[in-house]
Amino acid sequence: MNEAIFRLINISKTFPGVRALSNIDFDLMPGEIHCICGENGAGKSTLIKILSGAYQPDPGGTIEFEGEKRVLTPRLAIELGIQTIYQEHNIFPHLSVTENIFAGLEIMKGLRVDFDAMRKKAGETLEYLHCSFGPDAIAGELSSGERKLVEIAKALVFQRKVIILDEPTASFSVSEIDMLLEVVRKVVSTGIAVVYISHHLDEVFRLEGRVTVLRDGEHVLTEHSANLTEGELVRNMVGRDVSAFYSRDFYERGEVALEARNLSGNGVRDISFKAYRGQCLGFAGMVGSGRSELMTLLMGGAKKDSGQVLVEGQEVEFRLPSAAIRRKMCYITEDRQYTGLFLKHSIARNSIIANLVNMKDFLIKPKQDYAVGEKYIQELGTKAENADVIVGNLSGGNQQKVVLAKWFNTHGDIYIFDEPTRGIDVGAKAEIYHIMMDLMRQGKCLIMASSDMPEIVSMSDRVIVMKNGGIAGELERDEISEESILSYSIGGVAV
Amino acid sequence: MSTDSKRSFGIFKKNSELQTVVTISVFFIGAVLLYQIVNSLLNTGTIQYPSFIYPSNILNILQQNAAVGIMALGMTVIMLTGTIDLSIGMMTSLVAIFIAKAVMDWAVSPAMAVIYAVLICVGLELIMGSIISWLNVESFIITLGGMISCRGIALLISNSQEVAMRQNLAWFKANVFDWFNPEGVKMFGLKLNLPYYVIIFFILTAITWAMLKYTKFGRRIYAIGNNPQAAFLSGVNVKFTRLMAFLFNGVCVGIGATMQLVRVNTGIITVGQNMEIDVIAAVVIGGVVMSGGKGSVVGAFIGALLMGTITNAMTIMRIQQEWQFLVKGIIIIAAVAGGALSEILRRRNALLLRRKDADQTQISAKA
Repeated sequence: MNEAIFRLINISKTFPGVRALSNIDFDLMPGEIHCICGENGAGKSTLIKILSGAYQPDPGGTIEFEGEKRVLTPRLAIELGIQTIYQEHNIFPHLSVTENIFAGLEIMKGLRVDFDAMRKKAGETLEYLHCSFGPDAIAGELSSGERKLVEIAKALVFQRKVIILDEPTASFSVSEIDMLLEVVRKVVSTGIAVVYISHHLDEVFRLEGRVTVLRDGEHVLTEHSANLTEGELVRNMVGRDVSAFYSRDFYERGEVALEARNLSGNGVRDISFKAYRGQCLGFAGMVGSGRSELMTLLMGGAKKDSGQVLVEGQEVEFRLPSAAIRRKMCYITEDRQYTGLFLKHSIARNSIIANLVNMKDFLIKPKQDYAVGEKYIQELGTKAENADVIVGNLSGGNQQKVVLAKWFNTHGDIYIFDEPTRGIDVGAKAEIYHIMMDLMRQGKCLIMASSDMPEIVSMSDRVIVMKNGGIAGELERDEISEESILSYSIGGVAV
Repeated sequence: MSTDSKRSFGIFKKNSELQTVVTISVFFIGAVLLYQIVNSLLNTGTIQYPSFIYPSNILNILQQNAAVGIMALGMTVIMLTGTIDLSIGMMTSLVAIFIAKAVMDWAVSPAMAVIYAVLICVGLELIMGSIISWLNVESFIITLGGMISCRGIALLISNSQEVAMRQNLAWFKANVFDWFNPEGVKMFGLKLNLPYYVIIFFILTAITWAMLKYTKFGRRIYAIGNNPQAAFLSGVNVKFTRLMAFLFNGVCVGIGATMQLVRVNTGIITVGQNMEIDVIAAVVIGGVVMSGGKGSVVGAFIGALLMGTITNAMTIMRIQQEWQFLVKGIIIIAAVAGGALSEILRRRNALLLRRKDADQTQISAKA
C-alpha cells in the first residue's frame, strides 16, 4: 500500500462554547480524491483550517505530512505544498490570469520580473487544463467557475502536492460543475491529492473517491463512494432518514397577488408573470440568467425601464424597497451576510429593522425589540440562547432564520425567496421548506429563485425558466422536471 | 434578572476601549491626588484637601470640555453610519469668526448671529452630506476638502485678522448658581461657576442618547453603519438617513462653536483648530468603531470628559504642553490597542474555561 501523504491523528479543536472537532483521524493518499461531507456545523470548515494551518488543533493531536510530524502554520503549509482554495475567491480582479497565478511568487530574471517566462508557464498549464481563456485574460472578467480554475492552475504551476477545495461549486452553473469535476480528475491523475468539500452529493459520487463523513465534530465513517448509496450517505450525515425532505403538500390556488407585465430593467427584459396566493412560483435558470436581478427589480431595489408591476391588482411604482415593504412584500436575499443581515448586531436588532417602515410609534423601547426577537426565536426554533446574541456568531441555518424573522415581523403577504437554502445543511433545509409550506397554507404568495434543482422541482407549483435576462419557458406543475427545466435553460427548446 | 444586571453595566462590559481609558484615568487621578497630598505635606506639613477634586475644578473640567463634548455627539452619529467629518474644527473657526464679525461689525444681534451660525453649519453639512450620500463618495476626502474650504472662507471674511468681542454673549455663560444666590455660591473658598452652556451640553447628550436608543432613526443609523446594502433592502433609505446624520452634526457643530467662542471671546482662526482631532479621539475612546455600526453616545460622553480630566490633571501637575500632547497621543493608542488586547485575552480565557468544562464532562462521562 501507498504511504499516506497527509495524516491527522486524534485531532480535536475547541472554541468558546463548542467542541468543533473531537478525536478526528484522517488520512490522504497521493493521487486520491478524498471528499468530506457533513451538515453545516459538522466541523468541515474547522478541519480544512487545521489542514491548511490556519487553526492550531488542541494539544494531544498529531499532524503528519509525508511521514514527518509537523506543527502547521499557513506559511509552512504552502511551503510543504498544500494549497487551500477557499469558498470566497482570492483573486485580484484587475490583474491578468498570469499575474494572479504568480502573485507574490514571481519568476525573476535578475531584478526584473520575467513576464515572458511566467506567461508561457501559465499558458501551458491553462492549456493542459483545457481552459477556454488565455493567460492574458483579466481575472475579474472570468466567471466564478473559471476563477476557480485559475487557482487550481496556480497549484499545478507550483507543483503543490495537496489541493484542498472548499465548496468549490457553490455558485456554479451546471456546465461549470462538469468542467470543474473534469479538471479535478485530471489534476489527480498527475499524482496530486485532492480534498474536496461539497454540499452537493452528486458531485461526491461523480468524483469516485473515498468519502469521510463528519457529524457534530465527530468522525462517522470513511468509505469509498462506490460502496455507498446516496441514501446511506445522507443518513450518515444527518443521523436520521431524510426521505421526507422533498415531499410537500399542495394548497388551493388563491387570487393573483403579484403580477408583472412586460417588465424590463436592471438587466432583465420583457418579463410577464402572475403569482398566486397559496402557491410557490419558481424561477429557474443558469447563474447569470437574471433571476436575482429580477427579484431586486420587483422589490424596488433597482430602477425599472418599462413595464408594469401590480400588487393585488393595483399598479405600483416602487422607488425604494421601503415602498415595497409597505405593500406587504418581503425579500429574502440570496446572500445573507452581505445583503440580509447586520452581523455585528443582536438577533433582536436584526428582527425589527424591516418593519420600521410600518411602525407609527415615535418612541420604541429596546424591550420591544427584544420581545420581537424572542418571539421569532421561539416560533422558528432558532438555536440561540436569547435575542441578545450577536448574529455573526450563529450558524448559516440559524442566520437564515433570523432573516426570516426580520420579514415575518413585517407581516407580509408576498415573499420573494432568492436561494432560500444556499449554504444551509440538510436538516435546516427541511425546516426552511416546512416554514415555506406553512406560509403557503396561510395563503401567502411565494416567489422563489433557486439554482438548486431538487429544490425548484419539489417546492414550486409553477416554474418560470429564465435565460439571458428573459423568460425561456413556463412550466405547469405536471410538467416540472429536472430535464424540462434544463432543456429550456440551456437550449430553449421543449422536450 | 441576570440579563438586567448585565445590561446595567453593559456600557463597560461591551466596550474594551472605554475600559482601558477608565483604568488609565483611575491611575492618573490617583497619581495627581498623591502628588498633591505629598506636596502639601512637604510644603506645609499638613494634609490638605487636594485642589484637583475641588468642586470648582470639577466644574472647570466640564466647562473646558463642553464644546468638544457636544461635537462628539454629532461625530458619534456620523461615525456610527460609517462615515467621518474632518471639517468640524475649521467650521468652528469659521462660524466663530462669523459670529464675532456679525455682532461687532455688521450690527446683528448676538442671538440672531448664533442662529445664523447654526444654520450655516447645517447648510455646509447639507452640501457635504448630499455629495457624500448621493454620489456615494468617501466622506474622508469630501470633508477634508470642506475643512480646507472653511479655513479659506474664515480667513477671507476676517481678512486674516482676529475679531475681538466685548462679552456680547455673556448670557450664554451666565452662572447657574447665581440663580440660587446672586452673591455666588462658594465651596472651599472658591466661587462655583456652572455656565448655562454646560447644562445645554447635558441636555443635548440626553437627547442624542434617547434618539439613538428609542427612535427609528437611531436604529437605522446603526443598521446603515453595519451593513448599508442589507439596510437598503430592509427598507431603510440609506442616502436620506446618512444626510440626516450630517445635518444633526451641523446643529451640534453650530452650538459647540458658539460655546467655544464664548470661552475664548475672540473670533480667530485658531478657535477650532485641531478640534476635530480631540472630538474624533473622544469618540474613538468611547468605543465607536471607525467602520460604523457599533458604539454609543454614553461612551463618547465619557470619552470626552476623561480626556478633559487627564488634560486638566496634567496642567495641575505643571506638565508642559509638549508633554501633554505626547501623553494624550499615547492614551489614544493605548485605548484602542489595549481594547483589542483585552478582547483577545477575554476570548482566550473563555476558551480555556470551556475547554476545562469539556474535559470535566468527559471525565465525568467516563466515570
